[in-house]
Amino acid sequence: MAEPIQAPPAQHAGREDEPVVQMRGVTKRIGKRKLIDNLTLDVPAGEVFGFLGPNGAGKTTTIRMMVGLMRLSEGEIIIRGQSISTAYEQAIRHVGAIVENPEMYKYLTGYQNLLHFARMIPGISRQRIEEVVELVGLKARIHDKVKTYSLGMRQRLGVAQAIMHKPSLLILDEPTNGLDPAGIRELRDYLRLLARNEGITVFVSSHLLSEMELMCDRVAIIQNGRLVDVRPIARGTDAHAAAVTVLLDVDRADEARQLLAEAGAIIEGGLLRLEADRETVANINARLVGAGFKVYGIRTQAKSLEDQFLEMTGGERIV
Amino acid sequence: MSDFWQLVTNENMKIYRRPRTWIMLGVLLAITAAVPISIFAFEEGGLSMWMPFQVNTSMSVVLVTVFAVVLSAESVAGEFSSGTIKLLLIRPWSRSKLLLSKYIALLLFALLFMVGMLAWNLGLNALLFGYDGSNEMGSLSALNYFLQTYLFEFITLVVIVTISFLISTVFRSGGLAIGLSIFLLLIGSAISGMLSLLDYAWVKYLLFVNLDLTTYIGGGSSMIEGTSLGFSLAVLAAYYVVFVVITWIVFSKRDVAA
Repeated sequence: MAEPIQAPPAQHAGREDEPVVQMRGVTKRIGKRKLIDNLTLDVPAGEVFGFLGPNGAGKTTTIRMMVGLMRLSEGEIIIRGQSISTAYEQAIRHVGAIVENPEMYKYLTGYQNLLHFARMIPGISRQRIEEVVELVGLKARIHDKVKTYSLGMRQRLGVAQAIMHKPSLLILDEPTNGLDPAGIRELRDYLRLLARNEGITVFVSSHLLSEMELMCDRVAIIQNGRLVDVRPIARGTDAHAAAVTVLLDVDRADEARQLLAEAGAIIEGGLLRLEADRETVANINARLVGAGFKVYGIRTQAKSLEDQFLEMTGGERIV
Repeated sequence: MSDFWQLVTNENMKIYRRPRTWIMLGVLLAITAAVPISIFAFEEGGLSMWMPFQVNTSMSVVLVTVFAVVLSAESVAGEFSSGTIKLLLIRPWSRSKLLLSKYIALLLFALLFMVGMLAWNLGLNALLFGYDGSNEMGSLSALNYFLQTYLFEFITLVVIVTISFLISTVFRSGGLAIGLSIFLLLIGSAISGMLSLLDYAWVKYLLFVNLDLTTYIGGGSSMIEGTSLGFSLAVLAAYYVVFVVITWIVFSKRDVAA
């Protein structure tokens, strides 16, 4: 009854350039409502891929379809060359996931939880479990019951069960929910590490735009069940060339504004605000200092993903 | 196959690593010990071991059934309410095999407790009152009679536990599953007594008039006309198949959105 998991057919076997996930016309209807409408998307191998959208846009529904918790009404999801609908057991073999909160059996210890999930996939040794426990930094508490764990520890245990079988795709649904800033930062660094060192493709959903900017190589934006845009995240390159918004913290802001009137400076929240490119910022600073102003701080305000997102989705509020 | 038993091992872990299972066992042992010990303390002797054994048997059977129903009700509904169902399903296993592993673990629990209580009740009463090989229940030896009792009660238990499993899976509510199955167990015989007064042919095809198989032991008959042991077993089997098919279809097709 438990036939061994077959190796994928030769034509699909591990082509490096092949997208790990291919979604083709994925649609989910419940009653007359279309929760997901004709979603077509490729997730390239080895990237941290963000899946961004306001609450209720269909992120979790899409993820549930990717891991087989929900059926597709139409379309196809292919993971490592295997269809999730027709070859579920082969496709899911390559996937590790946390869907929403990392809910574990609270009455078991962390180790028993990992043992439980390890038994469900052939080829996970006790040694591998120890290794993963070490990796997520739970060694000291792994034999305690999960009900005594903090949310951060449960999150780590969730990551441990998701990477235990060395998946090629890690799917995380809103992984930063409920984590404190230190926890978020830790998770972010850890995901980038997994993508870079282990070659794991990470598919992560979030409504926290700032988080996605820091974490992801590429972001797909979804709204009302439709794909709005897919774009790579550029890292620290725009800041050099184009004009950006600059905020200056000076004493006697009002006088400073008059001095910089021709540069279009205005006062906003006690700060001087103007548009300028990189060189101009340096010149302005020199002029202010030369005129005897005290400059306490200069801050550039890059046009964030949030602004771009709001432009794209017509200003719909997100969280 | 060995891989599949890993799933059953998991389900066993979820049953026996919880204190409540051991509390159930403690309650069973304490109650079934209290009866013969108190009889032993007040009786002057000359009492056959089968009298207290019979009292113990009816208590054990009800309690084991209730406990098995409780575990069965929580088995699927509990995974939904704790959210662990999501992590359980996203493994390289079909849903029907996962459900089967849960069901097998439940039946193993029931079998273990039923056989365990048989041995415990026999041993305890034989120890206190001396083994009595002469006593007869109707045309059968007492031992034979009670072995059949345990067997038939186990068959009834399997049907009740399967109903609980069905409700647990379909409605994802442990409370509803416990309530309805226990209701059926307790009220079934009363209803069948009332229905036996009605002169309709379809009455004998109802589930609860066929649940008590012990009336057939030693060539006995039930209150309903036109039934026999074979008939009742066939009716139970038909219901059983329907329950199992519904349970498996619902579990395999369901969208997990909770």
